[in-house]
Amino acid sequence: MILNFELTDDLRSLITLTDKEEIYYSLPIDIDERSRYTRDSFLVVSNTTIYVIMHGALKRTLAIADCSEAKSHAHVGQGLLTVNHKGVLTVLARYTHGHMGRYAYVARGINILASGRTEHVESNEYEASCPKCGRAIPGTARCPHCSGENRFVSTVKRIAKPYIPQFIGIAVLMILASVTTLVNPAIQRHLVDNVLLEEEPSKTAAFLCLGGMFLMSAGIVFVNVAKSFYSTKLGARISMDMRNSLFDKLQKAPLSYINDRRPGELLNRVVQDTRVIREFMENSFCNLFTVAFIFVCDVIFMLSINPKLALLSFIPAPFVVMLTLAFRKSIHRRFHLQWHKNDDASSNLQDVISGMRVVKSYGNEKPEAAKFLKYSNEYCRVQTRNECFWAIFNPMLSFLMGAGVFVVVYFGGRDVLLGDMTTGELIQFMTYTTLLYQYLNWMTQLPRQLTAIISSLERIDDILAFDRIPNHGEGVVKTIEGQVDFEKATFGYRSYKPVLEGIDLHVRQGEKIGIVGPSGAGKSTLINLLMGLYEADDGVLMVDGTDIRTLDRKSFHSQLGVVLQETFLFSGTILENIRFARPDATYEEVIAAARTANAHDFICRTPGGYDTYVGEKGYNLSGGERQRIAIARAVLANPSLLILDEATASLDTESEYLVQNALSKLTKGKTTFAIAHRLSTLKDCDRLIVIDGHRICEVGSHEELIAAKGLYYELLTAQLQMQRRREG
Amino acid sequence: MEEKTLTYFESSGGFLGARSGEEEYTRVRAVRLFPFSDPDKYISIRVGSETGEELVVIRDLTELAPEQRELIEHDLELNYFMPVINKIISIKDEYGYAYFHVMTDKGEVKFTINMGGTNVSKLSETRLLITDINENRFEIRDVRELTPAEQRKLDLFL
Repeated sequence: MILNFELTDDLRSLITLTDKEEIYYSLPIDIDERSRYTRDSFLVVSNTTIYVIMHGALKRTLAIADCSEAKSHAHVGQGLLTVNHKGVLTVLARYTHGHMGRYAYVARGINILASGRTEHVESNEYEASCPKCGRAIPGTARCPHCSGENRFVSTVKRIAKPYIPQFIGIAVLMILASVTTLVNPAIQRHLVDNVLLEEEPSKTAAFLCLGGMFLMSAGIVFVNVAKSFYSTKLGARISMDMRNSLFDKLQKAPLSYINDRRPGELLNRVVQDTRVIREFMENSFCNLFTVAFIFVCDVIFMLSINPKLALLSFIPAPFVVMLTLAFRKSIHRRFHLQWHKNDDASSNLQDVISGMRVVKSYGNEKPEAAKFLKYSNEYCRVQTRNECFWAIFNPMLSFLMGAGVFVVVYFGGRDVLLGDMTTGELIQFMTYTTLLYQYLNWMTQLPRQLTAIISSLERIDDILAFDRIPNHGEGVVKTIEGQVDFEKATFGYRSYKPVLEGIDLHVRQGEKIGIVGPSGAGKSTLINLLMGLYEADDGVLMVDGTDIRTLDRKSFHSQLGVVLQETFLFSGTILENIRFARPDATYEEVIAAARTANAHDFICRTPGGYDTYVGEKGYNLSGGERQRIAIARAVLANPSLLILDEATASLDTESEYLVQNALSKLTKGKTTFAIAHRLSTLKDCDRLIVIDGHRICEVGSHEELIAAKGLYYELLTAQLQMQRRREG
Repeated sequence: MEEKTLTYFESSGGFLGARSGEEEYTRVRAVRLFPFSDPDKYISIRVGSETGEELVVIRDLTELAPEQRELIEHDLELNYFMPVINKIISIKDEYGYAYFHVMTDKGEVKFTINMGGTNVSKLSETRLLITDINENRFEIRDVRELTPAEQRKLDLFL
């Protein structure tokens, strides 16, 4: 991320730097004091001074020595940079969202300078748009356009490379198809001119011609079948390759990549965009070269037989093409609108049906029905209009296709009558003309298909080009003992909005740490950092003295045990779910894990035992049972480091006891981090940390914190009061 | 707390401060409860920041004295920047991204949106909210008020 924008000469000349002064940061200010967009405004920070340039003129100069507590604020649609100047809170700059991250870094930079240090602040985050050409560059460091590589071409090359022999084979078939198509009319001509119109037609010659024509026609069929077969096969292989690459990339990408996007969008890439490519291969590609080849040969043949007639027959062509293109464009837009209306109606329907319980309990059936009716009617209206449009214009277009042939018949017929052309030649010519217009028509659908495939390829390439993959396989492989150290760790899902700041914590092996704090304080975020799902923006997280970022992902995760609040069980059997931790575990190991987790008994009670199928979210099992399977999974992994996110929902007493007991067996002797709510869990922890306001505000054992009467004490007494009230 | 008991003053940095009897708050924040449906009604005044304790909810800004109203409006200016598009100069689309060049009530601006996904959402049948790749949001109050040419350009997303 750029923190030092280049100033134009005019703006640069407004600032005169003293001897030891150098510019550290220079950021655009894009909102002025009247809340309007502005372009020639910058905030320039040197090691001694802050300059504010507004509308091309130097407006303020502040000595950094007089400043402190620079802070970037994220508001709605804009951000503010404030600084404490000579004790007075001052707004230095206002900016739009695109600069929020930059100003957060620069605020930190200003504070560093103000404290007398001279380090530069740098950001590794990527730009969202190329600073040179303004094009969006998602997830990559280089702008493909400016660096000269044509992404589309290179993507196509990459995809096609392994299949070059198949492509060549298909190309050969295409040429064969072209040849057979073009030879047929020539035979026809020969038949008409030299056989049928002769004084004494020779039967053998006629049959020879017919035989030839038959062979050609049959040949065309075979070649086309072969061509389609191989194209389809190739299309399926290529789209499978792409799906695999995409899925692979999505697995490797950091969690933030997936969380930043809607799941449906990613699903579409893997499923739909690859389908578009397959369909293109099946429908268009296999005919692409054939059509182009035949088209060119067609034109040549026509010009060689009768140039004047050929040119005459070409005349309607441009008009027909333009009209067809316009028609297709209109049709596309209409059907896009229709699809949208259908989508609206379906979404509405899905919404209401899933929420039927709420609809009924508020008695809103009639209004909802009316709403759906409105959507339905709208869809119907658009659909009817589109079908009418199609019904009217499509036949007209087909008529126009024949335009060329009318021209040929008239002028050609005249030529034949005048003796300038033979009948056979005319027939051949007519066939060629029909072919010509047919192929022109076929080609008019290409622009649309090409745009679709280019878009799909681009979207797929977006994901494949993403290169901020955290280290995989090159990391240090270590057996984890369980010592964990946080040093000044800072993290925010958006870097300018930290959720955890300056976390300092040292945990010994085997210690059980309880994490408490008000809702939204950052407990789950701390866990996410521990699990390596996100990386700290600032500061360091170390496991056994090694920076977690340098550890081999796979090895680290295999030694990590996780039991989360929302128990996610995959579609599969209980056995498969427990084995998720170690697919090669034996039955004995699985049963032993289930026993430790107090799950064995209820599994025995299910009709399928360990082979019982549990659906996408652990269908048919109670909450406590699912928790215990998750615990069994964690037990099987035999991890050195455990992460627990305690479920807040209370289970019935028996399940509660069983789950608690299972958890204490699981965590024995292992370093554990638990987001805890229950008094029993809290008392069991060696130390508790209380997170509030992005920081750790209290650390100590349960007894120590109670005695300290701080935030922990308050949280606990509030909880106890609530419980007492609930129990009446 | 009763609305009438709070008086507002300009605090350091141009921010908003409030006073109620003996209590003085050096920094309060004005929060729009209905920024889209009714931006000038129901303003929540909170201590310190938008997560601070709520002091009062002003039902209607126009009912306040002009100088008081100006102070609150100034704070709202610092907190909200929601440009409304009133003219579309051009839209170009390339490789799944659309590049807009528009005129808004806050001046001329260019932005880029990702065409895949719901970056254009309908606040109502005729009101759109467009989110760009930097998460800036732009509003089109009434699609029908655009020229047919502009509407056609937008059609790709409607």
